[in-house]
Amino acid sequence: MEHILTWLIFLPLIGAAAVLIAPSSMARGIAWLTTFITFVVSCMLFGPFLPGSEYWATHAYGQNMQFVHQTPWIHVGNFHINWHVGLDGLSFPLIILTTLITWLSAWASWNFDHWTNNKGPKGFFALFLLLETGVLGTFAAVDFFLFYIFWEVMLLPMYFLIGVWGGHRKEYAAIKFFLYTLAGSVLMLVALIAMYFASGTAMGNPGNSTFNLIDYAINPAIHDYFNNPTTKFLGWNFGNAMFVMLFIGFMIKVPLFPTHTWLPDAHVEAPTPISMILAGVLLKLGAYGFLRVCYPIFPEAGKWAAYAVATLGVINIVYGAFCCLAQTDFKRLVAYSSISHMGYVVLGIAIMTDTGFQGAMFQILAHGVSSPMCFFLVGVIYDRAHHRDINRFGGLWLAMPTYGSLATLGFFASLGLPALCGFIGEIWVLLGTFNAGYEWAKPMAVIAAFGAVLTAAYILWMIQRVYLGKKQEQYADFPDVSAREIAILMPMAALAIFMGVLPQYTFDLMNGTLGDIIKVIHGS
Amino acid sequence: MMNTLLAAGPFWMPSAADLQRLGPLWSLAGTIVAVLLTALLVGRNHRVAGGVATLGGVFTAALCWKTFSSGSEPFAGMAPDGAAPMLVVDQFSSFFIFLISVFLVLVTGMWFMGLDAGDPDESARRRDAVEFFVLFVGSAFGMALMVSTSNLLMIILAVESASLPSYGLAGFRKKNRLAAEASLKYILFGAVTSAISVYGASLLYGQFHTLDLMKISAAIGEHGISVLSGVGLFAFLVGVAFKVSAVPFHFWCPDVFEGASIEVTTWLSVASKAAGLGLMLRIMWVLSCTVQSADAMRWVAHAVGIMAAITCTVGNFSAFRQTNLKRLLAFSSIAHAGYMLMAVSIIWQPRESAAGMPHPAYSAIIAYMIVYLLMNLAAFGIVAMVYWSTGRETMDAFKGLGWRNPLLGAVMATCLFSLVGLPPLGGFITKWYLLIALYDASLIWLILVAVFNTLLSLYYYARIVYAMYFVQSDEAPIRAPAMGQFAVLACAVAILLSGTVYAGRLKSFSDARSRDIYGGMKPTGLRVTESTVHLTNSH
Repeated sequence: MEHILTWLIFLPLIGAAAVLIAPSSMARGIAWLTTFITFVVSCMLFGPFLPGSEYWATHAYGQNMQFVHQTPWIHVGNFHINWHVGLDGLSFPLIILTTLITWLSAWASWNFDHWTNNKGPKGFFALFLLLETGVLGTFAAVDFFLFYIFWEVMLLPMYFLIGVWGGHRKEYAAIKFFLYTLAGSVLMLVALIAMYFASGTAMGNPGNSTFNLIDYAINPAIHDYFNNPTTKFLGWNFGNAMFVMLFIGFMIKVPLFPTHTWLPDAHVEAPTPISMILAGVLLKLGAYGFLRVCYPIFPEAGKWAAYAVATLGVINIVYGAFCCLAQTDFKRLVAYSSISHMGYVVLGIAIMTDTGFQGAMFQILAHGVSSPMCFFLVGVIYDRAHHRDINRFGGLWLAMPTYGSLATLGFFASLGLPALCGFIGEIWVLLGTFNAGYEWAKPMAVIAAFGAVLTAAYILWMIQRVYLGKKQEQYADFPDVSAREIAILMPMAALAIFMGVLPQYTFDLMNGTLGDIIKVIHGS
Repeated sequence: MMNTLLAAGPFWMPSAADLQRLGPLWSLAGTIVAVLLTALLVGRNHRVAGGVATLGGVFTAALCWKTFSSGSEPFAGMAPDGAAPMLVVDQFSSFFIFLISVFLVLVTGMWFMGLDAGDPDESARRRDAVEFFVLFVGSAFGMALMVSTSNLLMIILAVESASLPSYGLAGFRKKNRLAAEASLKYILFGAVTSAISVYGASLLYGQFHTLDLMKISAAIGEHGISVLSGVGLFAFLVGVAFKVSAVPFHFWCPDVFEGASIEVTTWLSVASKAAGLGLMLRIMWVLSCTVQSADAMRWVAHAVGIMAAITCTVGNFSAFRQTNLKRLLAFSSIAHAGYMLMAVSIIWQPRESAAGMPHPAYSAIIAYMIVYLLMNLAAFGIVAMVYWSTGRETMDAFKGLGWRNPLLGAVMATCLFSLVGLPPLGGFITKWYLLIALYDASLIWLILVAVFNTLLSLYYYARIVYAMYFVQSDEAPIRAPAMGQFAVLACAVAILLSGTVYAGRLKSFSDARSRDIYGGMKPTGLRVTESTVHLTNSH
């Protein structure tokens, strides 16, 4: 129980080993069971987890880490790398989201045998589980080196999952995804090295160098040294240089304009469950990186870059929404809507206020629930129609009534309809931006709000073309959603409503930590 | 009678204790003789020849392993009083001889496997086994000498005695046109570079009147590097750069790798580079062993750094369009030589000795070399197994390998991603140690070159993965010998473990091998005199 977090991280890996050993007919069963157990174990953390609000008054950022497991990993000379994992209000909700979405995706892979590309089920499910270990490790890591290792561990499984089991342009999509992400991570690697040595300099002794992400943020010596304009890196302001390198690394993952182009390709080619994970979980890692690494550690650089980051966020919102309007491929549309929605996250983070951070974090979770649902809804129809051309659909609601209702719910959640999850995050971000202390903030809020209108436009137009209208002959005999498909959709639908109606419970989990980060940023 | 004669005459004999220190070298030299003698005794039997070579390799490795634990002081000797010491023995040289002899054993195993697995040249290989192993162990002996000397003359002898058998090995497939061409190219390049190298050595000798790098270093420290000695030094280093296949002395490498039989390619890709890097490292280290000479050597080191940057960039770019796997891996090995050369370029910098930390460049290269050996052995091993099964070494032979033989495919993918340097594999952690050493030496531009190259290299390594997994192939499954599959699987597991669980142990092992190096620790601000070095024959 003491090391429950470590167990949680490696549970999927154990499952992956089991998948490889067991006969291939059992692969999907083992994967389902493993991800389900992982989900149950992660839910068991709810009991002992003390939400940030209980720590709010007494603890500073980083001191409310829970389920901490710290043990030396590489200790040679003055070189200290620790196995150091822990959860706070920032990572805890994301861990739950990850285990849930991964479990649902494993379930969505249940019809693996009927895919057009169904060779090597063992490989598929083993990589799938390895991916979960990578994601959980990244969210839980407190040591930056560990964070980096897990960050890269996610890369390879994703490459194979898209490249082997994807659609007809899978190779292109896979290598594009790989190159983009690796380009970001080598920048992160340079920052990692520089920060490690700089922390030693700050502490006055190379022996005290650290990879601890929390120490970077709250140790006064390190924090001051990192944010001191006189600290230089290749002649640049150290904080700004590090911030930019890390930011590029994370923004590729978010993905932020102009590094977003890998995402539509990856989504369109990836099989449905992989799209669910990609949209639901992997994109969140970029935003999580901002909140965990960039902003608490380099707040001065964050303020320096606020305008640029907010602009990129707004571009994402509006540009993503316009792209959605132009799509005819159903999945591509959902992919671009992800880009648009992640723009709110970035905008909320950029303004660095309580409301902004809360909205961003809520939007991360809301999008983590709604976008896998949308991708699964697309997958359901693709399984039956074997094409995704929006203009060739129509009247599906009549052919498949249950599916139509669930789909409407899912897309409305994505649209940001009040009382559904998408609304809260967006409105929080918009409010935060409107109130932020920058003179450019109000116009940005207005443009971003205009993006919400565009969102409504492309979603409603899509629903009209796909679900409404006359019943079409070729789709008339489509079977409605099966019990398995309903079971997969239900948790996400329920969460979408729950988070929309009672957002307080979600906010409670994270507000304390977010407030602490804001305190670190504004130095009070 | 004999003793008095020797004592009185102009002859000089090393003491028995000195001779004992050279155990690994004796063992390798003895193996060559043993291969020849057993051939006389039992006739031309390839099993006996290979067996003797294996035993020799194991014995040598065991002798080296013994010195790891005993923690001996550096030894420089094998010359009469007052003359330049011919041979050096320290942890560092022991490590490289260990690496070379272990690799000798592994490649011999690969050679045997090729016989049973249907190598096309099987009968010729059986027939010429004795010659093959004489050349093979002979080149290993030359490489062992390369890492155990800091004497100008001995360096040239060592490089030659490593090269000459290698020329033979490269052209060993006598009826193969490519092999003949490769061998000829190799010889021409080798001859030219060693001529330049000898010329450089003669300039150095003419200037400093000594063959001892230690004394040259002291002189450089006192007078700085003159134009003449600078030219001499660079010319001298050309011979070593050729062995490392540093750009622009790399042209032999892809042709030789393509033309030579797969075992020879594997052998050269690791052992020849290891020896060259070991030698380069020692030359640079000894030459900069005082604070003053280190200061004078900084320009040479910068030149090496630039050469390193060019080497890995050229290697990676050239690999882009290769379709022959051996050729592709040749360029990849050039690129990796570039990464390791980066560490050579920081060796001149004086390090703090108070904490007892060895120079990070040494341990970075040692760790890199260990994982590099594993990666290359497995990658070439798989190329060999595919070749034995299909008769092709080109990219299209690898199409669908992941499905035609899942184990080989997975191991190959592991090796390739480790070669890229992706965590959590060993290739990442060793590259990390290298980058850390570079950052410590404030060479951020080299770090940027290295990470940029990592990105470049991903493209062509991923092309192989692409062929293995993403391309459909109707070809028959690859049938590979069970031992071979087990061996490459073991390599892959070792690569994975060295990047995760044993990452720390890898580092501490490398650190231990880089302690007590001949030439001494270089405390900042203190001048190291020769008296701090333990010279057993200077009594």
